[in-house]
Amino acid sequence: MDRALGWVTKLVFVFLYIPIVAVVVYSFNASASTSNWGGVSLHWYGELFSDGPLLETLRTSLIIGVLAAGLSTVIGFLSALGLTRYRVKGRMFFIGVVVLPLIIPEIVLGVALLTIFGTAGIKLSIVTVILGHMIVTLPLTTLILMGSLASLDSTLPEAAADLGCTPWQNFTRVLFPLTRSAMLAAFLLSFTTSFSNIVISTFTSGIGGTTMPLRVYSLLKTGITPEINALGSLLILFTVVIIFLVGLRQMRRIVIGAEEPDMSTTAISTQTTKGKASL
Amino acid sequence: MAAAAALALTGCAGGGDSTGGDSTSLNIYAWAGEVSDSMVKEFEEETGISVTLDTFDSNETMIAKLASGGSGYDIVQPSQYAVQLLIGQQLIQEIDHDQVDGMDNLMEKFRDPSFDPGNKYSIPWVWGTTGLLYNEACTGEEITSWKSMFDEKYKGKIYMLDNMLAAYIVGLQVNGLSATSTSEEDLEIATQTLIDQKALLAGYNSTNYYELVASGDACMAEAWGGSSVAQAVADNPDVKYVLPEEGGSLWTDSFAIAADAPNADAAYKWLNFILRPEVAAAATNNDLMATANAAAAEFITDEELLNNPAIFAPEEQLENSEFIVDPGEAMRFYQDGWTRVKAS
Amino acid sequence: MRTQAGARRPVRRINVSAWLLLTPGLLSVLLLAIVPVMLVARNSFAESDVYGAVIGGFTLEHYVTLTDTVYAKTIGYSLGMATITTVFCLTLGYIVSNYIVAQTPQRQSLLLLLLIVPFWTDFLVRTFAWITLLGRGGPLLSFFNLFGLDLDSLVPSQTAVMLALIYAFLPTAVFPIYASMRGIDPSLREAATDLGAGWWQTHGRVIAPISLPGIIGAVLLTFVPTLGVFVIPVLLGGGKELLVGNLIVTLYTEFRNQPMGAALSMVVFALMLISLAIAALLLQLRKRRVA
Repeated sequence: MDRALGWVTKLVFVFLYIPIVAVVVYSFNASASTSNWGGVSLHWYGELFSDGPLLETLRTSLIIGVLAAGLSTVIGFLSALGLTRYRVKGRMFFIGVVVLPLIIPEIVLGVALLTIFGTAGIKLSIVTVILGHMIVTLPLTTLILMGSLASLDSTLPEAAADLGCTPWQNFTRVLFPLTRSAMLAAFLLSFTTSFSNIVISTFTSGIGGTTMPLRVYSLLKTGITPEINALGSLLILFTVVIIFLVGLRQMRRIVIGAEEPDMSTTAISTQTTKGKASL
Repeated sequence: MAAAAALALTGCAGGGDSTGGDSTSLNIYAWAGEVSDSMVKEFEEETGISVTLDTFDSNETMIAKLASGGSGYDIVQPSQYAVQLLIGQQLIQEIDHDQVDGMDNLMEKFRDPSFDPGNKYSIPWVWGTTGLLYNEACTGEEITSWKSMFDEKYKGKIYMLDNMLAAYIVGLQVNGLSATSTSEEDLEIATQTLIDQKALLAGYNSTNYYELVASGDACMAEAWGGSSVAQAVADNPDVKYVLPEEGGSLWTDSFAIAADAPNADAAYKWLNFILRPEVAAAATNNDLMATANAAAAEFITDEELLNNPAIFAPEEQLENSEFIVDPGEAMRFYQDGWTRVKAS
Repeated sequence: MRTQAGARRPVRRINVSAWLLLTPGLLSVLLLAIVPVMLVARNSFAESDVYGAVIGGFTLEHYVTLTDTVYAKTIGYSLGMATITTVFCLTLGYIVSNYIVAQTPQRQSLLLLLLIVPFWTDFLVRTFAWITLLGRGGPLLSFFNLFGLDLDSLVPSQTAVMLALIYAFLPTAVFPIYASMRGIDPSLREAATDLGAGWWQTHGRVIAPISLPGIIGAVLLTFVPTLGVFVIPVLLGGGKELLVGNLIVTLYTEFRNQPMGAALSMVVFALMLISLAIAALLLQLRKRRVA
């Protein structure tokens, strides 16, 4: 039975990669039709790089992604800190509140945001998109960082403080190094979520706020061009590069929230002693 | 840090700062594929005004953005029924014809249209029809009527547009009723017809139906005459576009000025710009759409375009066509019917 | 803050810090999620004018309209599609997770990595790939043509939608189950086999119950989003079947009936809350059983 299932698993992996391989292969297809093979060509990459509007939206998406993910990670970290470090009354309730945006159907949230921005008289712009993406990714970052902080030895920051660290040093020399991989995970996950988001972007974008997925979506609806395959291949490459930069082991931790501390306790006391010495 | 950057962007986003004087920017919200980059560049070079062009692919999205307030757009490009909606919700402003030169360049039928008498609010830019696109190699014969879309022998090879108003053009006209009917009984009949048709359809498609017809995957489809359909017709001699004998419908996309436009004077410059025959011709030359500007005819470089029925529908066929207008109160009947058709 | 080791810290300061830390997060959710949704809820009881805008008032007519069989059918169809997708994702997710935990740690990392790449690839690009693959002249149909099977293009179709949905949510189903399974001592499996348990018994009585939190997580991460899905049906569906997500967007746009769109959104929201409640309940029951 296990052997049969082993084959099923292998088939699943093949299934997962067929579209990815297809995208890459077809991006080199000289023929315009997406269904006929016409020989190898870099034509579509050329088209892609000369497609001004599309590149513009790529830039917009990057800016929005970095800012939204950054904001989300920072706020998520603060919330996670507040929820794990301190015994706040009604902790479960607050966790529920922070996670709320996850269970609201995206369409409902998109429409709701459009409504509130309109009622409050806030002009739609890149900022509103960033806010929309931020709120959608906030539950993710908070949960990831809570997982990371909760698995830390809670006495460490206290020990650091006792050894003479200021709160800021406490952060930079103790908390940050320990949660670095989780913060990176939170940031990356938020970034990719924001980058490919369609629904919220549709409802919250204003002038000059067209994101890449919105552009591709409307291109897909009006007329498919294979330059999208070229775009897709580059995005896939980008994903793979990020994964390798972050490192295999880190990725494993990010994805399953593994609880292996980055440093041993001795290393931490060394850090804090250094901190004291510099005071 | 992130907040500061976001604040900085707020300063960049949104329109320019026009205090009734000379604006330096213009924000346009138009249909994808109907305002070409070269046109925008020409305008920018000539006037020194920097243009931000955003596109939409449905009137409803555009209306929703305007209705929510603070969108910051100056020029929008609604279809004819959307013009009525925008007027009703006071989202576009009256055009001061004294500031606009060249209204006489427009074709007769667009100079005092039913949806905007006197062109008070809108200036038509391009127009087209909703008709039948078919592949003669697939159907084996000439098609002249909506009735063919209900013919058993084409089962599984027919596509209808995935759009309520468009579908009801067929549903109403094939029963001899007017495509702009607002009577409950008429709509009931049309709804039943559409429900019956569903079994014969391959699907509802507003996106790549022309590809499917061109490749022979489908024999016929309800179609919006426009650039992609025109291309399909030009490329493949078997692919034909006609307005059925029941009439089909006319549509037009026009430019209008948003009610809260921050750069109204730049908007007027744009309106004057697009009424020029040589500029209007660009719509046909570059984007394969029928320009509403009669004087532009002499600037159209490719004769073939003038003869392409998917771009310029022949006058005889246009006799029974009407503009699709907003159903107003009758919207409920359309909505209810369409939901039933889709869910059946 | 420099203190002598062992000095006491005032309790009040801790709580103020806690609140300070929580404020940005809570404020964001309040302003950008709670208040907007409440607005939508309020609108669902409002009347609309000819243009579909909200003009205040109070009426239950929208909810009453939603009880019409047409809407029940649509919601039912969406629930059905979400359920089928979830079942597939769950089954395949379980199988894949089970396989991965049995590998060496290095291979495990590699396999997880292989899962992440499709997971992180832009969703539109993946969907577009399916359009290419399943369409006429595409490799899949050509493959079947080799065997003399002349199939119609699979795009657009409900099959294509289902495939794309499963594809989109499969990685998200694997991760939580894997996280749960990781903690299972391999000797447990050995013990079960030694005691004579077959595959079904081992999994049914040992592995699955222990991985239940992960399984429930996978179900939620698949079922809930699929219920509100809207892009995939538009691009691959062919428009003949109506899904709830599309209907909501249509109500807000083509139909210009904001209050009813709001009402339908609330209904979908309620359905999701119910599934979450059921999930929480199951977890509680399990805790009680294990304890």
